Amino acid sequence: MKYLTEKNNKYLYGYPNWKYKAFFVLVFGFIAILITGFIGLNFGTISIQPQKILSILWHHNTNDSLGIIIWELRIPRLIMAMLAGMTLAGVGGAFQGILRNPLADPYILGVSAGAALGACTGIALQYITGTYLTNILPIFALIGSFISMFLVYFFSKNKSHLPMTDLLLAGVAVNFFFSALITLLLAVSNRELHSMIFWLMGDLSNSSWQKISIIFLPVFAGSFLLIFSSLELNAMALGEEEALHLGIQTEKLRLRIFVIGSVMIAIVVSFTGLIGFVGLVIPHIARLIVGPDHRIMLPVSALIGAIFLILCDTIARTVLAPTEIPIGAITAIIGAPLFIHLLKRRNENNEY
Amino acid sequence: MNTKEPIITLKDISFSYEKTPLLQDINLSVFSGEFIGIIGPNGSGKTTLLKLISGVLEPQRGKILIFNKDITNIPRKKLAKIISVVPQESHVAYNYKAKEVVFMGRIPHITQWQGETLLDYQISQNAMKKTDSLCHAEKGIHQISGGEMQRIYIARALAQTPKILMLDEFASHLDLNYKYEMIKILRNTLQEDVKCIISVFHDLNLASFCADRLILLNKGKVEISGTPQEVINNNNLRKVYRSHAHIIQHPELAIPQVIM
Amino acid sequence: MFLYFLGKYFEGGENKMIKENFMNYKNKTNKEKNKVIFTCFMFVFVLFIIANITGTAQDNLFPITLIDDSGFKIVINEKPERIISAAPSNTEIIYTLNLEDKLVGRSDFCNYPDETKDIESIGKMSPLNLEKIISLNPDLVLSYGGFQLKDIPRLRDLGINVLVIRSDTIQEMIQGIGLIAHACGIPEKGEELISQINERINWISFQVMASSRQKPKVFVGSNFDSIWSPGNGTLFHELITLAGGENILGNQQGWVSISPELVAEREPDIILVPTGIMNPEEISKIKKDIMSHPGWSNIPAIKNNQIFAVNEDLFYRAGPRLVDGLELLYEIFNRKK
Repeated sequence: MKYLTEKNNKYLYGYPNWKYKAFFVLVFGFIAILITGFIGLNFGTISIQPQKILSILWHHNTNDSLGIIIWELRIPRLIMAMLAGMTLAGVGGAFQGILRNPLADPYILGVSAGAALGACTGIALQYITGTYLTNILPIFALIGSFISMFLVYFFSKNKSHLPMTDLLLAGVAVNFFFSALITLLLAVSNRELHSMIFWLMGDLSNSSWQKISIIFLPVFAGSFLLIFSSLELNAMALGEEEALHLGIQTEKLRLRIFVIGSVMIAIVVSFTGLIGFVGLVIPHIARLIVGPDHRIMLPVSALIGAIFLILCDTIARTVLAPTEIPIGAITAIIGAPLFIHLLKRRNENNEY
Repeated sequence: MNTKEPIITLKDISFSYEKTPLLQDINLSVFSGEFIGIIGPNGSGKTTLLKLISGVLEPQRGKILIFNKDITNIPRKKLAKIISVVPQESHVAYNYKAKEVVFMGRIPHITQWQGETLLDYQISQNAMKKTDSLCHAEKGIHQISGGEMQRIYIARALAQTPKILMLDEFASHLDLNYKYEMIKILRNTLQEDVKCIISVFHDLNLASFCADRLILLNKGKVEISGTPQEVINNNNLRKVYRSHAHIIQHPELAIPQVIM
Repeated sequence: MFLYFLGKYFEGGENKMIKENFMNYKNKTNKEKNKVIFTCFMFVFVLFIIANITGTAQDNLFPITLIDDSGFKIVINEKPERIISAAPSNTEIIYTLNLEDKLVGRSDFCNYPDETKDIESIGKMSPLNLEKIISLNPDLVLSYGGFQLKDIPRLRDLGINVLVIRSDTIQEMIQGIGLIAHACGIPEKGEELISQINERINWISFQVMASSRQKPKVFVGSNFDSIWSPGNGTLFHELITLAGGENILGNQQGWVSISPELVAEREPDIILVPTGIMNPEEISKIKKDIMSHPGWSNIPAIKNNQIFAVNEDLFYRAGPRLVDGLELLYEIFNRKK
């Protein structure tokens, strides 16, 4: 019975020194991402031997076609998958924390519907006007997501308060409304339907270094900001009032998490389309492995999300090669049964 | 510090929720070393009063002074270092371990940059020891029964090392032995760092047992404030609770007890 | 100079003495020999110059700047030696221009001519498989636009020339041939092919104009439950009109989904059923299905058994075989009953 002896011990009754734990987790996670990434590099339409891949990586060879395939096609795509997975799982975990609801996902506050409507509008315009708009579709999506975010904020704001139930309800309402508009757009579209549906299900095939350079900073900056709020998110889990009693400014915290998370999601989704289930399921897995303490759970969730999406992308590219399956389909096919399994475990153990 | 100076002062407090007035013209002072009990029928505003003092709600009129400072001028985090609250009921969203829940009481004292120190862990452990909940330390909070949970919440409130401890019905799920234990622990804290304790009671007998002074609320106003002997008598009970009951003297202690 | 000697040759002659003749004769043979040698030399010299001139003319074609059908300006520095075609229409144009030895990749759907099966496939038409395309190291990729537009910027970023050939009319198809021919450095071959095609089209146009017979009403149907039929603005409609027929959906735009009642009301004289490669039994089954379609029994095309299954590739693909389709339609419309 360790805890009864009052040793002057850093590991006081099982309190690990979480800084060491976090460091170990991050290093392990980083290595895991590198390994998964390398596995992903091995797959594709053209088969390239692992030794050749290593040599291309080491010499940064972009001269021959194999080098171009590795450095310009596969690597940007895997990095994109990593960034998207990090964002979705990290923000999903943060939203589940701030809303005290394990069924929350990063799209719950209306971001995704707006981005989807923006992108589909852009695609429709492309065919109506005959001009080529694919390069600026992300801008359409981003504008759409900001409009929906603003609407959700506007509808749920009550004087200077930002009550939680109102936030959730406004998010649901905006989601419904925008989804209806998207369905309308799909119904009247003919040739564009194909492109729209591809976008809606997530599409990493157009990843490039340029896009990565745009996304990189917001994703990492946002992730750090979210992780800094970990203690406050822990307090929120006790209840709104209890968190207030612990000195947390819950209104400001909600606004902060909402804005940072939504902006991160909006930026990523504008480039990748809607990839579902990652933000919902991965935080649960992280909680199962390391517990609900957000200081560890959020980084672990981001790491697992990155690894998961890299693997899903690899599957999407190879299972029906040379045809590509939209990555959203893979995450749903894997994610849904996984989620049901987690629910059953929760009911059995009466956990969460 | 002048012990004559009240720690908490409420001046002409009125509070309404939307259009319904809940509390009107409340004036009250709490002095150092006091265990205050707030009693009254349902809907009389007990919990609302507690929320006002702990800073969760803002009164429409009146001033609340904590250690002679206006509560609206105290930043929330600083207030949390002084006041801690034990809720009546609470649902924790995720299955934190009991020790993690207790440790959260240290959050107002932990700065993000430095992180927690060994002292924080020691305080948490001590708090759990006092409330005899160390054996549940590693259990998930969702697996813990009502009574154990209440002791853990008290431990959390103690871990917060407050100057003012506020409780809402802290003993409703506790077994008889734990009722006594908790009351003893609370009284002990008054000897240590805690300057005053305010608790809401449904159980008049327990209130009579614990508190130095009782505040009886009736329809949002203070009906009477005084010692248990002064407050718990037939007149007041009939007036406020509209019921008839017998009041007897406790065989050992000089406090009134109510018998149906 | 040659003429000088020629003149000299004609100057000398029958007016001299035998000795002179003999001397002349000897001189003549020498002169003749010299003449022959000289003319040969001149001939070769002239040929050499001509060859060089035309040779440099060829090299001066590149680098060439073109604007493709997506409005994009591409610069081709050297004559393309490795070409990938991402659409069946472009593949057929390649073969017609005799550029097939430069073809290193083609889409899954490129099935004509037969030799295409020996060319490496790059997969589906959309999304384009970038890895496959890059691994084949092409100098030029021919796209049809449409759904491929979103993948093209990536290819261009990676330094690959992509030419978009988008044809919605016969005229645009002809221009597409010219564009591809220019891009590949054989503009004259392109011109030649274009003039051949124009000739065939013009002949039919002339016949149609000159003919006084009434234009048959034509319906392009299918054996599927939902009927999609081409209206104004589609290639099929254009071919029908050029061949002297009247599309019953001429007043509708683009591809439309129509109800069977409309068909019954318009009473077409000829029904065309575009199909893929089918054997005779399947074709006769299709014909039977159409003939027994409820509500269509009064349609002239059905009463007179004027239902024709046609190879859809001749009418949907914006390639040279459109003219084959045109000629097929002309033949069908002018059949003696």
